[in-house]
Amino acid sequence: MGASATSLQHMSRLELTRRIVSAAGNELLVSGIGNATFDLIAAQDRVENFYMMGSMGLAIPIALGLAIAQPQRSVVVMEGEGSILMNLGALATVGREAPPNLTIVIWDNAQWQLTGGQPVATESSCDIAAVARACGIAHVDSPADPNAFERLVQRAIDSPGPHAIVARIDATGGRSAHMDPVYLKHRFMRALGLTPD
Amino acid sequence: MSVTNAVAWHTDIIEAFRANEIRLIAHVADSVLAPIIRRMEQDSFFRVVTLTREEEGVGLVTGAYLAGTRGALLLQSSGFGNTINALGSLALPYQIPFVMLLSERGSFMEHNVVQIAGGAAVPKVLDALGIQEFPLRRADEVSFVALQGARHAFVARRPVALTITTQLSGGKSGR
Repeated sequence: MGASATSLQHMSRLELTRRIVSAAGNELLVSGIGNATFDLIAAQDRVENFYMMGSMGLAIPIALGLAIAQPQRSVVVMEGEGSILMNLGALATVGREAPPNLTIVIWDNAQWQLTGGQPVATESSCDIAAVARACGIAHVDSPADPNAFERLVQRAIDSPGPHAIVARIDATGGRSAHMDPVYLKHRFMRALGLTPD
Repeated sequence: MSVTNAVAWHTDIIEAFRANEIRLIAHVADSVLAPIIRRMEQDSFFRVVTLTREEEGVGLVTGAYLAGTRGALLLQSSGFGNTINALGSLALPYQIPFVMLLSERGSFMEHNVVQIAGGAAVPKVLDALGIQEFPLRRADEVSFVALQGARHAFVARRPVALTITTQLSGGKSGR
């Protein structure tokens, strides 16, 4: 870990995901490929969850599409730092579109945990919170502990955004789980009262 | 909305989208598509989002579809390659229907040799993915092909490609 991170507590992604679910009520949750999805399934598998099983880097664009099409609902998307770096342009698009009902939670443990812990640029030189700010995202925070994280998530859901919350996490959690994509599509759309084509 | 000097086949594409309830328009900049996008931006039926990269658009139209809004991705065929993983691991396995409106590069009237290999490969890559492509070649067929091609996506529950050929558009120099 970089020197700037040593004073921060490294939190558990699974524990923080449980706190998001608890704060979210029946709002819409989107999770990116890999551990973000695995820990959301483990925290609570609910019909308002949309799990991305592939398409690394596209959790934010999916959440932006949801937020635009359902302006009366709040959308929280969870995405790992490696996926964020794969598609940094998505942050610029969110900054430009400025959806008030979108909250981006970024899990940063400075490594590609799923592929063996290879270091990501956030370990040394890249500050994702600063990138999000520079892309024009209105509210960007880096909470120091789980209680501060939960307060920020609740505030983000309850107040106009877009919001980004960058959470320094440890490398625990992430127990592999897979679900059928077509089933997930139908389940999610029906939860919104919609019938797929 | 101003329709002065409106090109008829542009209107046919816009009306094909409207008739199919395609409202969310995600695009990456392209000179052939630009006049169509400008008209959609001035038309309150459509919500236009400018992307940084084509792959983003597959995610955006997927999210919109899940939330009840049909979408289209407008892109140059040279940017099509940027969408392949998103098509293979998101749109196809989740059965997300949308229209890819492709502005063809690498064919007649191309002026840049680097566009040819990628542009010429697009129909084969689409075919390999099992995505049907409906080329728009003559102005008098655009109304039918665009309307029915777009409709087909929602029957097939997968993306379809409508290709604006350079034969139709005149390419970059034919605007």
